[in-house]
Amino acid sequence: MMALVQNAAEGYKKMEIDAIELSDSKAKIIIKDTTNAFVNSLRRVMLSEVPTLVIDDVNIYDNTSVLFDEQIALRLGLIPIKTDLKSYNLPEECSCNGEGCTMCQLSLTLSVEGPKMVYSGDIISADPSVYPADPKIPIIELKEDQKLFLEAIARLGLGKTHAKWQAGVACGYKNLSKITITNCDACGICVEACPQNIIELQCTTAVVTDPLKCTLCKLCEDACDIDAITVDQDESVVILNFESDGSYTAKELIIEASNVLQEKASTLKQILQTLQ
Amino acid sequence: MIPVRCFTCGKVIGSVWEEFTKRSESEDAGAVLDDLGINRYCCRRMLLSHVKLVDILSPYQ
Repeated sequence: MMALVQNAAEGYKKMEIDAIELSDSKAKIIIKDTTNAFVNSLRRVMLSEVPTLVIDDVNIYDNTSVLFDEQIALRLGLIPIKTDLKSYNLPEECSCNGEGCTMCQLSLTLSVEGPKMVYSGDIISADPSVYPADPKIPIIELKEDQKLFLEAIARLGLGKTHAKWQAGVACGYKNLSKITITNCDACGICVEACPQNIIELQCTTAVVTDPLKCTLCKLCEDACDIDAITVDQDESVVILNFESDGSYTAKELIIEASNVLQEKASTLKQILQTLQ
Repeated sequence: MIPVRCFTCGKVIGSVWEEFTKRSESEDAGAVLDDLGINRYCCRRMLLSHVKLVDILSPYQ
């Protein structure tokens, strides 16, 4: 067993990470010398274990709009809120034992009279550093004489409890494609067949212009009459795509996800050490 | 009311609704969606297939 662990350590190469695309809401990252299992765990943490602050309880004092109280509460819950993990605790980990204190709860109020379109930006937060990530989300359109007055309580939570706490959106990964072209007669059939248009004819052979765009559909392989092209995947290189819902920037999200993963690994290590 | 998020992927789509309806009167709806960064077909159908009911319902309160 010990020998096995040592061998694994010797074979371990430090992974290389390159950001192909990195904006506030979206990222495409290429990770070399890694495994699908590792990137998948990162992806799953982003979807279900990164805490976000979201409206969880709503006290409605007055609602004469066209929507029912429950529907308004649902819409409020889905609004992403800029999350500051340093100032808030998960209710179950808070020193108040989940009873609710300023360390694990945030109160927000919304008071509007029609005629007016109510936006997420109209919500007034008790903590000025925490506010709805997108101020332009319509909540409800109030007509003449309609009113909405409510108090909402936001809490930290995990995506595995309810999708409203899910910080990562549309997270996915794929392996980098490895396309080899040998003895090509430059007939151009594969160029026609590729739905991503990433194969080009250059002189006497077909050339792949952008392997990152390859979806591994293998249509070029099927189209080639002389089997000159083969599509394979490089399992040590993973392209990770993810978006954030707005509660974090994409960069913060992946850093937070790796923190959660690291914490889990160290908890496991601690438990294993106490077993001996 | 337009849903806050896409039912399938969870991307916030409510915030682009007003710009989408305004611009799609004069422009091609598909091109407007591309421009607004609504790329996946799950999010696109949220906006394309939405029927606004507030004005129809409000007289019956």
